[in-house]
Amino acid sequence: MSQPDAAREPAAAPQPDGLRLALLNNRFEGISRAMMNTLLRTARSAILNTARDFSCCVLTAGDELLAMAESLPIHVMSGPDLMAAHMKQAHPNLKRGDAFLNNSPYHGNSHAADWSLLVPVIDDAGVHRYTVLAKAHLADCGNAIPTTYSAAARDVYEEGALIFPCVQVQHDYQDRADVLEMARTRIRVPELWHGDFLALLGAARIGERRLLELLDELGPQALADYERDWFDYSERRMADAIGRLPAGRAVTRGRHDPVPGAPDGVPVQVAVDVDPQAGRIAVDLTDNPDCLPCGLNLTRATSKTAAMIGIFTGLGAEVPPNAGSFRRIEVRLRENCVVGIPRHPHSCSAATTNLSELTANLVAGALAELGEGCGMAATGRNQPPATGVISGVDPREHGGPFVNQLMLAVTGGAGGPVADGWLTTLGIGAAGFLLRDSVEIDEMKYPIRVHEQRLIADSEGAGRRRGSPGAHVEYGPVGCELEVIWLSDGTENPAAGVRGGLDGAPAQQRLRSADGTLGGELGTYAQVTVAPGERLVSISCGGAGYGPPREREPARVVADVREGYVTRERARDTYRVALHPDGTLDADTTTRLRETR
Amino acid sequence: MPLINDNRLRFGVDTGGTFTDLVVAGDSGGLRIFKRPTTPADPVEGLLDALDAAAQDFGCTRQELLARGDQLVFGTTRATNAIVEGATARTALLTTAGHPDTLTLREGGGRPSLFDYSHEYPAPYVPRALTFEIPERVGAGGEIVTPLDEAKTRALLRTLPDHHTEAIAVCLLWSIVEPAHELRLGELIAEELPGIPFTLSHQLNPALREYRRTSSAAIDASLKPLMSTFLQQLGERLRGAGFEGRLLIMTSSGGTLDAHAVAAAPIHSIGSGPAAAPVAGRHFAQLDAARDTAIVTDAGGTTYDVSVLRDGVLPWTRESVVGHPTFGFTTGFPSVDTTSIGAGGGSIAWVDDGGLLHVGPQSAGADPGPACYARGGVRATVTDACVALGWIDPAYFLGGELTLDGDAARAALQRDVGGPLGLDVEAAAAAVVQLAVERMVRVIEELTLQQGIEPAGTVMIGGGGGSGLYSCAIARRLGSPLVALPAVAATLSATGVLLSDLQTDVAETAVLSSGAFDHARAEQVLRRLELRCREFAEGPGAGALGSEITYSVEARYPQQVWEIELPLRSGSIATPADVATLREDFHRLHESLFAVADRDAEVELVTWRARIRCDLGSPDLEIATPDASTGSSRPQSDRGVAVLTTRRAHFAAIGTTDVPVHRVADLSPGDRVEGPAFVESPVTTVVVEPGASAELAASGTLLLRPLETNR
Repeated sequence: MSQPDAAREPAAAPQPDGLRLALLNNRFEGISRAMMNTLLRTARSAILNTARDFSCCVLTAGDELLAMAESLPIHVMSGPDLMAAHMKQAHPNLKRGDAFLNNSPYHGNSHAADWSLLVPVIDDAGVHRYTVLAKAHLADCGNAIPTTYSAAARDVYEEGALIFPCVQVQHDYQDRADVLEMARTRIRVPELWHGDFLALLGAARIGERRLLELLDELGPQALADYERDWFDYSERRMADAIGRLPAGRAVTRGRHDPVPGAPDGVPVQVAVDVDPQAGRIAVDLTDNPDCLPCGLNLTRATSKTAAMIGIFTGLGAEVPPNAGSFRRIEVRLRENCVVGIPRHPHSCSAATTNLSELTANLVAGALAELGEGCGMAATGRNQPPATGVISGVDPREHGGPFVNQLMLAVTGGAGGPVADGWLTTLGIGAAGFLLRDSVEIDEMKYPIRVHEQRLIADSEGAGRRRGSPGAHVEYGPVGCELEVIWLSDGTENPAAGVRGGLDGAPAQQRLRSADGTLGGELGTYAQVTVAPGERLVSISCGGAGYGPPREREPARVVADVREGYVTRERARDTYRVALHPDGTLDADTTTRLRETR
Repeated sequence: MPLINDNRLRFGVDTGGTFTDLVVAGDSGGLRIFKRPTTPADPVEGLLDALDAAAQDFGCTRQELLARGDQLVFGTTRATNAIVEGATARTALLTTAGHPDTLTLREGGGRPSLFDYSHEYPAPYVPRALTFEIPERVGAGGEIVTPLDEAKTRALLRTLPDHHTEAIAVCLLWSIVEPAHELRLGELIAEELPGIPFTLSHQLNPALREYRRTSSAAIDASLKPLMSTFLQQLGERLRGAGFEGRLLIMTSSGGTLDAHAVAAAPIHSIGSGPAAAPVAGRHFAQLDAARDTAIVTDAGGTTYDVSVLRDGVLPWTRESVVGHPTFGFTTGFPSVDTTSIGAGGGSIAWVDDGGLLHVGPQSAGADPGPACYARGGVRATVTDACVALGWIDPAYFLGGELTLDGDAARAALQRDVGGPLGLDVEAAAAAVVQLAVERMVRVIEELTLQQGIEPAGTVMIGGGGGSGLYSCAIARRLGSPLVALPAVAATLSATGVLLSDLQTDVAETAVLSSGAFDHARAEQVLRRLELRCREFAEGPGAGALGSEITYSVEARYPQQVWEIELPLRSGSIATPADVATLREDFHRLHESLFAVADRDAEVELVTWRARIRCDLGSPDLEIATPDASTGSSRPQSDRGVAVLTTRRAHFAAIGTTDVPVHRVADLSPGDRVEGPAFVESPVTTVVVEPGASAELAASGTLLLRPLETNR
């Protein structure tokens, strides 16, 4: 721990009671973890119980994010606050036993496939003290086509999801059967959906129960004092962390690959202003295109969260992410902007992935450009066919229709100031928290075979700290046709290196015919029917590098060659490191190589 | 040959990081416990030291003592340490073609905290450079998709010596359904590379999910050279010292196996010491509190392990990890579930720039240890806080085995905590203990909730030299009415080792549904499992006093992927009524664990398990009573001070005061001590907080009542 610089230490604040804060923070984190555990262990669809694509958090009565445990940042940093506020507005007379469903892109939610279940925590005096929120990405949300990422949807009508703008689903702890019946008649594989819905409800109710116990034990005043002090503490930590960054403004630009509705791709620009003196960061997303007739538009929640993820990624682990630290961040958004506030009926079907990944990476990249040791290179864009949504009819005994999102190998880790990219990062928004499917589980549950799953040599974004190599995955149906839909990125616009680091290798998506011939590039967005004997080939992006590759320690390069991540040729040409035939470092040649420009 | 007789002895040994504990049973004097420093370079040395101490106590030579031994049951961290230190054999991994990165890619996820990108990705257990693809493929239904190419495989095997391979792990996709390719590969290895130990995944761990099965095989193979040598030497040296009895090894599933069986599958010895604590905890929960649901804690000088017993059943986990919880390696096996809390005595207390107090996650460990150990550790730890509060007598820590530096403890606390928080040293120390307790409470609550147990009202069993310090505070926070601190608390694991049955587990994967239940298939699977159990009973278990087979199945609702283990009522599911019962049992279990049941849904049954336990004779666990004429159950360092003294100590509730100090040896059964007080034994200090009380039971156990208010 370095000591804060005396010149900018926010010493005006009184010393908090460091023990009481720690004790209560422990309690609240325990509550959100209990919610997370319930959801993980009881959910039915693989996207939840294997891939862990869900989040749980606790908000104050004033709709401020208090505790988020190990939730996915893209789900919770902003959004739950907006939805909690909207719940109070839409349902002014909250009662114990209520539960509300919000999956509306226009009412604070992330995208329509993320179902947010909100439960107001009402104490014995009838006062609303907290809101707990459990959010899960459903395997299907009733879209017009069987995917939860409808890139081609020109509007919310064509997208087709059922939209619940904070609709009551329980009253006095009893289901509102009419509302649930709406979902049952619209969502594919309704038994699966109902199991996931029960898991969401169980998680929210566990959180409610534990908060009521806490209120009973400590009383509302002590908890209100804690909230105030915890937010103040978090704000001070944020101000300190920003205070250590270099001052300045950086503008970074990137582009999303072409999709229907955006044939030239989508350009995105972010401007980041760091004011270490004031301990503030501002991100301006307003200088970007208007909403587009496709599913890529971000929601208000994901636009703001994407910027926040970029900032927190660049700041490190010391700052607790909550409403207190968020006070030091300003994100400028504008109405009817593709990375801003969507205007109905624009579709936001892919609002948690494509442009939010790009935006967050651009913000982390801007921080990197401001100074050595800051920010991070870009993660690989994350949704090639290895994570496509598959559907079809299982020809095996007891088979039936199925739909789910696969989670096979996608790596995506970016180089940072300290460490190389992780093989399990997936994307900056998932942040290395999503789990991958077991091949055996996938082959047991669906009529598919995974023929190949391996890392690709020389596909990493080279750098002093390199990105992770991409992954090659091949799979196809067994005894039936398989429909696969994916919405990827990074085929034309790979992950961008920073501070002299190189870009990662681009994504590819192809079909291998029954005779083994590899077909042409299918594109970033496609809906493909794979026939028996055919295979889909998914090449995921390499993560980008941080700093010049020729500054990478030779020992790391030697280890990369030994382990097959990097070939000798690339070691020599890109990293400027030579190896003896036995695989050990050729120090003399390396020195010579590195001296020549 | 009778396995036990009255004059014969049974030895239980637990080799921990700091101490080697020995418990001797079978003598009419009851249990005798001994503690000697562990000798990491040669762990057998520490065991022989402890046996020397025992021989002295028995008034005979070590040779004579060992000659009376029927059984020596050994719990060891040897395998765990070898993995953590990277000292295992150079192991090659053979995988299905197309899938070389199963270990490298893990199961995804795994980053320790959201925005901390400062950690490197963990290297795979077997490097990619030592991973080789075998041309073959079996499908999900057991069909051969690509036959094993034997010529290419033989050619590949012949290259392995070039890589200095010392062991080989084999894991092919779907070998659990159709093992032909793995079996043939085993034959080819034996032919091409005779003498190189190998492990076939389906034989070791026939469970679904290729990552876990591969990890099991890789870890097991890598331990074979080391553990077979170690166990062989252990046996030889014990025999050389006069032991002619049976050498058994404690396993991670809470049972014991013959040493040669463990040498053949050494992965089972991982975590063998910690697995024993809940076995002993179960015994004392029944003996002292007549309960079969309990929280068992095992606290050493710098560690704190917890496990939760439900209805007398040992806690069970499918997620056993060796080493760091995030960066370590999964064994892929279910095991007795003990959770190590990162807030034990060695945890470091610190205050961040924003003024928030933290305890851990950094730990000073046993070496250099807390500041008061004066072994080079300078940062304040939880143990230092206990010293600063006056809870630990620096001159009497672990019975005087270690003299502590109280000034160093106070200085560290003042500097690291008191100064930054503006507190005096006692208040700082109290804050550190309170936060550490809170973190322990959170982990215990998570464990109990996962088991569907309400911690309030549940009994705690305190084991290890350190648990007496925190048990009162933890039990209060949990609302737990009783803490039992057995007389053998300081050697709880070694006692558990002694209590464990000879036991093995067998499993088969066969996916069935409660709807359209395939009785014939289920019956086939269950009879095969039963046969394997019977073979064990007639082999290693021959001569046992009794044996018992229990059955369970890992079950789930359709589309769930995390199964829960459902005990079966019998080894047969012959009738539709049996299926209905099984289905109902699953709904109930699911509801108790997760608050919801889906009563309309069918139940999927995946992996079928059977366990055979053979009772080799339970030792008499009465510890020698305190007034026994020899007093010999007490380690030699007991000073036997019979006077009541007082010590200046601090409690948050009442401030600093003179607190009575009792020696447990001075108490008689039924004696009761009111808090604030300390009850000390040579191996532990029990803190009786103000308002609490403690009473010595006839069993020698100290019963702590944390919630009592009617003084």
